[in-house]
Amino acid sequence: MDNLIEVKNVTYEYTDEETVHTAVKNLSLNIKKGSFTVILGHNGSGKSTLAKMLNGLNKPTLGDILVDGINTKDEANELEVRRKVGMVFQNPDNQLVASIVEEDVAFGPENLGLEPSVIRQRVDEALKAVDMYEFRKSTPHRLSGGQKQRIAIAGIIAMQPLCLVLDEPTAMLDPKGRAEIVSTLIKLNHEKGITVILITHYMEEAEKADRVVVMNDGEIISDGAPSEIFKNVEQLKAVGLDVPQTTELLYNLQKNGFSVSTNVISIKEAACEIASALHSEEK
Amino acid sequence: MSVLEVKNLTHTYSGNTPFVNDAVSNVSFTVEKGEILGIIGHTGSGKSTLVQHLNGLLKPTDGQVLFSGEDIWENPKEIRKIRSKVGLVFQYPEYQLFEETVYADIAFGPKNMGLDGDELDSRIKEICRIVGVKPEYMEKSPFDLSGGEKRRVAIAGVMAMRPEVIVFDEPTAGLDPKGRENVIKIIKDYREATGATVIIISHSMEDMAVLADKLLVMNKGNLCMFDTVEKVFSRGNELRAIGLNVPIVTRVFAELKAMGIDVNENIFTVEAAVNELKRIRAGDGNA
Repeated sequence: MDNLIEVKNVTYEYTDEETVHTAVKNLSLNIKKGSFTVILGHNGSGKSTLAKMLNGLNKPTLGDILVDGINTKDEANELEVRRKVGMVFQNPDNQLVASIVEEDVAFGPENLGLEPSVIRQRVDEALKAVDMYEFRKSTPHRLSGGQKQRIAIAGIIAMQPLCLVLDEPTAMLDPKGRAEIVSTLIKLNHEKGITVILITHYMEEAEKADRVVVMNDGEIISDGAPSEIFKNVEQLKAVGLDVPQTTELLYNLQKNGFSVSTNVISIKEAACEIASALHSEEK
Repeated sequence: MSVLEVKNLTHTYSGNTPFVNDAVSNVSFTVEKGEILGIIGHTGSGKSTLVQHLNGLLKPTDGQVLFSGEDIWENPKEIRKIRSKVGLVFQYPEYQLFEETVYADIAFGPKNMGLDGDELDSRIKEICRIVGVKPEYMEKSPFDLSGGEKRRVAIAGVMAMRPEVIVFDEPTAGLDPKGRENVIKIIKDYREATGATVIIISHSMEDMAVLADKLLVMNKGNLCMFDTVEKVFSRGNELRAIGLNVPIVTRVFAELKAMGIDVNENIFTVEAAVNELKRIRAGDGNA
């Protein structure tokens, strides 16, 4: 029983102008404590609907979601579920509420009704965890996109959730900002044991995850280690997704008769794979 | 022939206050007719402020913007005229859809330019053909479309004005890979069909490598590079120092070079990478 989240046969329906749409179809998924999961899927595949169900913002139409053993359907559990599962969204500007960084991070813990000394401690720890402690007295609008998004993450961390769910947190960031967010998440996962669920459209961000879940039309169509998932280049393309550019390169080389394997993702591994293929050609 | 010329442009926000801040400082460059110019830079580097000067949405604090050799602020009362010559597609343009039907939304810009009747109708149909807005969508509400379709309609609305220069501010942000590919195709098709000049802001170095002829690099409000894609991406260390990078395939080739393999490092797209490795393989076979 080391599942933090259990999604059991969940369906989510919504109605607009009398038409019923099914965003998530009879989906089951277990998330292990301390794991790092990336969820991929095209726009409209049901990823965000699923994400919002994980902390009770959306309630399943059918089926159940248990967070640390608690059912999200029960109104009485709402606050507890939100405390256990924190969410970070796409646009950092929409998530910051205060004009001083540390006050923004304190907003969550203040609402939990904690002692001021405890709040102080949690804010400092959260800012250190995202490497923004030195900016604690700055004003958020003077920070870069990546820094703002890290402040938004710190605001959630300060509530000490067991799990972080991030819905495209890097969509509006520059390459450095994207790299900062991914390394912050890896650090929180490794050092603090926080369970991470990351939704993204940048395939290379999935490289360091333990597990990649691919959604299409409200269902899970594949689930496995990143190298296993990205091997199926054609299947991913068929559902409107892509592979990291390293995999794309290896896949195209393979089609051109190079003896390379496509189940590596990092730049270094890709270069090694190409180098050994060139060497074996020589012989 | 240059279509746009930016001369010593400076834009200061909050002038005469303690928060005075040069968002763009002393930037000069020219845009040649028919080229695709990419603009890259960290968040907050002044890219969006810079492009909002190109159609007169912002007025330079100092310096000039020339369109076909004429200062666009020569007669401030006529500034609206530049808006149909230089079209600007904002970030997340789908948030600006507002009409009841897709057709009416696309028609809004050209109507304001004075087009009507058959001329307006054929203009809209032509643009929809180029960008792939299906005829059966015309009477639908734009709000019933998917995110990717909404963006397509919003882009079509600007294209329908047939601007000579069209500027896109992060046109692929927030789209899934298929959606990104579609937007890139729309931009390419529009340029091919109309010969328009295109300026694109993007955080995706991989997209820039495929699309752009030239790159302009902004850092903290200053122009720090303005050159061909090849020249700019050959300065990887400088790019990394200012929060940017080179495409992933370029990094793979730098790694190969470091491993002692004699590859051309000026490789920016997967297609070029495959060709270069084929060349090396053939060369080894002959040796």
